[in-house]
Amino acid sequence: MNSLSKQKKNLAEKISKQFLTFRIGNEHYGLELSQTREIIEYSGITEVPLMPSFLRGVINLRGEVVPVIDLAVRLGRKSIEVQRRTCIIVVELTNNDQHHVLGLLADAVSEVIEMDDENIEDAPSFGANIRAEFIQGIAKQGEEFVVLLDANNALSIRELAHLVEAELQ
Amino acid sequence: MNFDSALQTFFAEAEELLVSMESALLRMDEGETTPDIINEVFRAAHTIKGSAGLFGLDDIVAFTHKVENVLDLARDEKISISSDLLSVLLPCRDHIAHLVDNALQENANDAECIAKGDALINALSPWLGAPPKPAAPAQAVLSSNMDKAVASERDLWHISVRLGPDLLRNGMDPVSIIRFLGTMGTITHIATLTDNLPELAEFDPEQLYLGFEITLESSATQSEIENAFMFVRDDSDIQIIPPRSNISAYIDLIKSLPENTHRLGEILVKSHVITYQDLEQALATQKAQAVAQVQIPLLGQILIDDQDVSPELVNAALDKQKKNQERRAGPENRFIRVDAERLDKLINLIGELVVNRQRVDLLASKLGNTNLTEAITSMGNFTEQIRDAALTLRMVPMAETFQKFKRVVRDTAKELGKEIELDIEGAETELDRSMVEKLNDPLMHIVRNAMDHGIEPVAVRQSRNKPSAGTISLKARHDAGNIVIDISDDGGGLDLERIRKKAIANGVIEEGVHLSRHELYQLIFHPGLSTAEKVTNISGRGVGMDVVKRNITELQGAIEIDSEVGVGTQFTIRLPLTLAIIDGFHVGAGNIDFIVPQNTILECVDLGSLNHVQGQSCVNLRGEQIPYIRLQKLFSLKAVDESREKLVVVQFGDKRAGIVVDVLHGEIQTVVKPMGPIFQALKGIGGSSLLGTGAVALILDVQQLIGFAINKEHSRTGSLVPGAQE
Repeated sequence: MNSLSKQKKNLAEKISKQFLTFRIGNEHYGLELSQTREIIEYSGITEVPLMPSFLRGVINLRGEVVPVIDLAVRLGRKSIEVQRRTCIIVVELTNNDQHHVLGLLADAVSEVIEMDDENIEDAPSFGANIRAEFIQGIAKQGEEFVVLLDANNALSIRELAHLVEAELQ
Repeated sequence: MNFDSALQTFFAEAEELLVSMESALLRMDEGETTPDIINEVFRAAHTIKGSAGLFGLDDIVAFTHKVENVLDLARDEKISISSDLLSVLLPCRDHIAHLVDNALQENANDAECIAKGDALINALSPWLGAPPKPAAPAQAVLSSNMDKAVASERDLWHISVRLGPDLLRNGMDPVSIIRFLGTMGTITHIATLTDNLPELAEFDPEQLYLGFEITLESSATQSEIENAFMFVRDDSDIQIIPPRSNISAYIDLIKSLPENTHRLGEILVKSHVITYQDLEQALATQKAQAVAQVQIPLLGQILIDDQDVSPELVNAALDKQKKNQERRAGPENRFIRVDAERLDKLINLIGELVVNRQRVDLLASKLGNTNLTEAITSMGNFTEQIRDAALTLRMVPMAETFQKFKRVVRDTAKELGKEIELDIEGAETELDRSMVEKLNDPLMHIVRNAMDHGIEPVAVRQSRNKPSAGTISLKARHDAGNIVIDISDDGGGLDLERIRKKAIANGVIEEGVHLSRHELYQLIFHPGLSTAEKVTNISGRGVGMDVVKRNITELQGAIEIDSEVGVGTQFTIRLPLTLAIIDGFHVGAGNIDFIVPQNTILECVDLGSLNHVQGQSCVNLRGEQIPYIRLQKLFSLKAVDESREKLVVVQFGDKRAGIVVDVLHGEIQTVVKPMGPIFQALKGIGGSSLLGTGAVALILDVQQLIGFAINKEHSRTGSLVPGAQE
């Protein structure tokens, strides 16, 4: 980091963000807390026919029908197997003034961490095995790395809709 | 009431008035020039002017005033309504709309706008040249003689005003209210009551002590007069007695007011609303009868009893009075404006209520308590009624939409130099308001296209032995749970060869490919394939039929074309009643719950009991061949024992087909929940819905589902499902 941008950072005081961290397989991920709404127990997913494998189905979230995404598949991993600690993280994204609510399947939710911008490293240009635009940065927590996801890109409604369309063709 | 919301009310009201003004002008254009219609136009202009004046929108007042003057002359039959006059009045209406719009957008009226207004006023001047309406006589004569009262067409209102003492402090001025009343008619008499004035020492110059008794000659409605007091109503005591009311109304008024009865009586007599004899006699009679504990008789009755006038005459007068009152209590009083968002919220909540009722139902049936079950059944009936009532709140007749086309057709025909008539049918057919709004543009496009390209010029029509005036018809109707709108014209029809050539030239299809008639027609929905030979003002400006198609598809609808060269073209738009709540039939296939809209279902039968047509997915149902699809197979669902399969026979349009499912669960009322943009490409599923158990079920879009199945079959075998083909 050059001195100028460091100065800027200092001027803006410490910008810290809160992240909800969770586990998929044995990898740790984080989502900005401001984008997450709640965490619910895995139950009662209704399958939707002919959907690609990242789309596990829909759930009834207090009267609202919400699609559930298998984040593992979306990130290019093996599909999540439902176990005792499997849960659905409900996220709310704002895109072009439109609100979207999505459920994300995760193996387990860990904790909420607070991170200063300084402690967040840029995503490596390769080696993470995840599309670079899905990653906002990497945070180091003790000995572990937490991949901070860019929800707007990783869960772009437009892209998801295109994938569904492609599957149906 | 705060000023901004009052202003919003003005804009909403002005918009409505402009619509009714336009429709009335168009009716006149069709030769219907009754005093009622002229009055309607006048009233609209008058009310807009009055309300605009209240908000200081002077440009609107100034312009509308001129228009109103002309209308006033027409009302008094000083000038007659001619086609020439209408050709000026219609643009005048548009100009008022434009001015109102500018005020709404808070735009200043630019030079072009002002010039246009001046030009229109100039155009009106030949009619304004007629001698002005003589001023209303200063004093009205209304004797106790009822036949005279009947003969009198004067509408004398009596308004009793006791304004709140803080009015001046709140920045309101009673004079401006009285002045505004003056714009609604003529104030023939006004008495200022100073009874409340205190001794000079106690006089507070910022307090209002005055009351007014006003006699207003006006053809305004009660609500219009009430509107004059819109800003002071809350703190003031306003009593309005309509013209030709029973004398008892006046007597009641006198009694209800704090001032001296005798003085008020005098004021009423002075204002010529009633005569002294009337008052004395009626007061005396009433007093006498009140003593005898008899119901207070109507003035008419008293007069008959006194043998002043014949009963017939009184009846006629009463009848007229009743009619007048009915007119006054007309549509404007029967509607209230509701924020669409609030309405949606209500409907959503009722949707939740409906779903929760299902859940209670489910629990009760497990408990098996008869009393509880009965109570829930009756609650269910009410829920259903509430649901239906709430849904109708959002329904609006197509009339409003169709109405707009009268003007469009009139103006466009003039512009094109063609003679075109518009035929409207089924205007009473109701559709969800949210759909109506999205339907406007596609309809407009089709109608304009039909006028521009469809209907031939007069000379061509005559050479083809057609009536010189072409006809465009708009028809709306219900059909099997759908709304169907036909837009047809008796013009030249679509030239298939030209469409084909153009499609080949644009690379949409390849030369030598065989397409059916319907497939060729569908090509005109292809982007960039305008069949117009020349671009005109009316159509061919880049926005094409592809946009129409897209709009209709967004509404989950379908559009079909039929045409015959030289005879005409018909577009048929089929729309679902996409309402928030539907009656459905709950079925299961694989491990998924599905809901089939009840209105598409003809019957349900055991698939095993039917004769299958050899080698095809088709059964023989009482002699009719019904092609069917297996949900399980189509959607690649988990397999279930085939012997228990059920066939749900559905109908859409004039086609029938079967849907094979595993389980029939029964009827269910269900709230349609949109699936969201991710599932947009999913065909055959129109939405989702919650079951009583809280689980999500998928609602089948039957028409789309069959289409999807046909496409799938088509792409696999190259043949269509028998019976379901076009």
